Amino acid sequence: MWVRIRNWLEIRIGLEELIRAQLTEYRVPRNINITYTFGFVALFAFLIQVITGFFLLMYYVPYSEMAFRSIQDIMTTVPYGWLFRQIHVVGSNLMVVMILLHTLSVFFMGGYKKPRELTWVLGTLMLLVTVTFCVSGYLLPWSQLSYWATTIATMIPTAFPIVGDLISELMKGSEQVSGITLNRFFAIHVMLLPLIIAVLLGLHLFLVRRIGISSPPFGKSGEAERPWTEYRHDSHGEGYPFFPDFVLKEMIMVMFACAVMFFLISFLPTLLLPEEANIPADPFKTPAHIKPEWYLLAPYQMLKIIPNKFLGISLQLIIIAVFILWPFLERKEENNILKRPRLLGFSILSLILWVVFTVWGKYS
Amino acid sequence: MRTLLTLLVILLPSVGLTDYREEFRKEFLTKPWAGVQAPKNVCVECHASEMMKPEIRVIPSQWEMSWHYQNGVSCHNCHGGDPQDEANSMSPERGFVGTPKYAKVPEFCGKCHVGILKNFLESGHGKTLKASGKGPNCVTCHGVHNIQKASINIISEQLCTKCHSYDRVKIMKQALFVTENKINDVDKSLKMLKSEGVYTEDEDKDLFSTQAEFRTLFHTENVSLVRERTDGFIKKLNQIEVKMQKTFEELRFRRNFSAFLMLIFIGMGVGLVILMKSPKE
Repeated sequence: MWVRIRNWLEIRIGLEELIRAQLTEYRVPRNINITYTFGFVALFAFLIQVITGFFLLMYYVPYSEMAFRSIQDIMTTVPYGWLFRQIHVVGSNLMVVMILLHTLSVFFMGGYKKPRELTWVLGTLMLLVTVTFCVSGYLLPWSQLSYWATTIATMIPTAFPIVGDLISELMKGSEQVSGITLNRFFAIHVMLLPLIIAVLLGLHLFLVRRIGISSPPFGKSGEAERPWTEYRHDSHGEGYPFFPDFVLKEMIMVMFACAVMFFLISFLPTLLLPEEANIPADPFKTPAHIKPEWYLLAPYQMLKIIPNKFLGISLQLIIIAVFILWPFLERKEENNILKRPRLLGFSILSLILWVVFTVWGKYS
Repeated sequence: MRTLLTLLVILLPSVGLTDYREEFRKEFLTKPWAGVQAPKNVCVECHASEMMKPEIRVIPSQWEMSWHYQNGVSCHNCHGGDPQDEANSMSPERGFVGTPKYAKVPEFCGKCHVGILKNFLESGHGKTLKASGKGPNCVTCHGVHNIQKASINIISEQLCTKCHSYDRVKIMKQALFVTENKINDVDKSLKMLKSEGVYTEDEDKDLFSTQAEFRTLFHTENVSLVRERTDGFIKKLNQIEVKMQKTFEELRFRRNFSAFLMLIFIGMGVGLVILMKSPKE
């Protein structure tokens, strides 16, 4: 049966040649390391979000009067609804972690340098879209936590003169966070953002395959260094086959990530769903401590310490722009960061600052 | 890069120059940024202002710490009037009744606490109050404005011996103890379930009605009636516990199930590592 299907496909799409070209003869650098698997794990986390999100959509009611109740029904009465919701919640954080790790890995391995500038830009845009996914999804349970976190998120644009109020009102659809805001965020979360990320992901993967995986700057890549004066595919002729060697490594990391995810669901089920997440939204009761998610604590704390909010938000936009356009700003050819002590120092300092601001934001 | 550094140099000293928390609160968490605000309450605005005597000025802050406040019961719900309209806030046409006379306090509170009023008026406390106008009323035990959630802790030697001996009260408190303890246990378990995201509205309603009935009962001061009905209350609370027990079992199943999935993924990961390390043919 299997042979017949295989033959049928072979005649029509040239299956063997396809497998050879895309998997077994597609090679990765000899000196590739485990950090190169983070991108695949992030992709896997995204697929988990799509699948669990699809099932949650069957029971979630995007209407302010019923949203919280529908989430409670998912958690209580829908068979295995709790599992899908917990995977969706923990999975979204896993996705952010993996994209951040993937970005850091690409940065420290110099993978953003010529000719991969566009791949970097698309990747950073995907990180921003992922955070937008999280922010828009945060409101949907219509809990105290979601309501007040969104209240803060939607007032941030008001820092901008002239257009600020308009942007904020466009986000909210009313003067304050209301049922209209919920509908807008829902539509963005389940329709607009998946489309955008699908396009970005497609282009990102296309570029990775078209140019070839970048070689780490450490150890011997097995390929002579040649300047990029014209387009060529980085074929890594002496490297390892993508399948099964590298795919095996990627799958091990996926298993590890899933084990961590189920550990959190089993033993720390309230870590990402604190008390306020189980209280229905009440516009008249401001919770004592409103804190954004962990990945937004650093910018949140930055906003708090900069006295002028316009300046604070402008500075953050500048940092984001620098981050996205980094390959065009940092054009030195040397891609071994160990040979670039100033860049290394600046990067480590930035990372430390981010951690400090995150911890500060958490406990301030 | 240079521009970025210049900006950082300009911004860093500003951190030390301002009380950023206050600024942040002012800019981001108050009107108009903070979305829907509590409706205007001229009672609070006026009574908290400097023109009031100190003993009146503390009333709004006392109320803000009360069980009434936590449950959305505001000034006008008890005293009437219009909290939105400054000019007519204390107008009798808008239902303003002001502060009740001492003997009329039970009727004042009994507008909402109907069952308790009935039992209180039939009790020794109620009869004394009615006869002499000097017996204990609601505020004698529960206080004014800073009214906390009722519990048998209110019944104390310190409070009761202000008027009479503690002997009979002690017997009453002992009779109430079992049911009160059970109510607290059920309440604690319900909070635990809620913190896990479980929908407990039905159990909440059952507990609320049982609790309300129980509270009503002990205002009769009739120990034998309390003892007689204790079994009934315990039975109702046990029924809620049985329902909750099933949910706790479900939570245990969830933890074990996801731990099982975790072990499966660890196992598959180890299997893949072995496969990767094994020599190729």
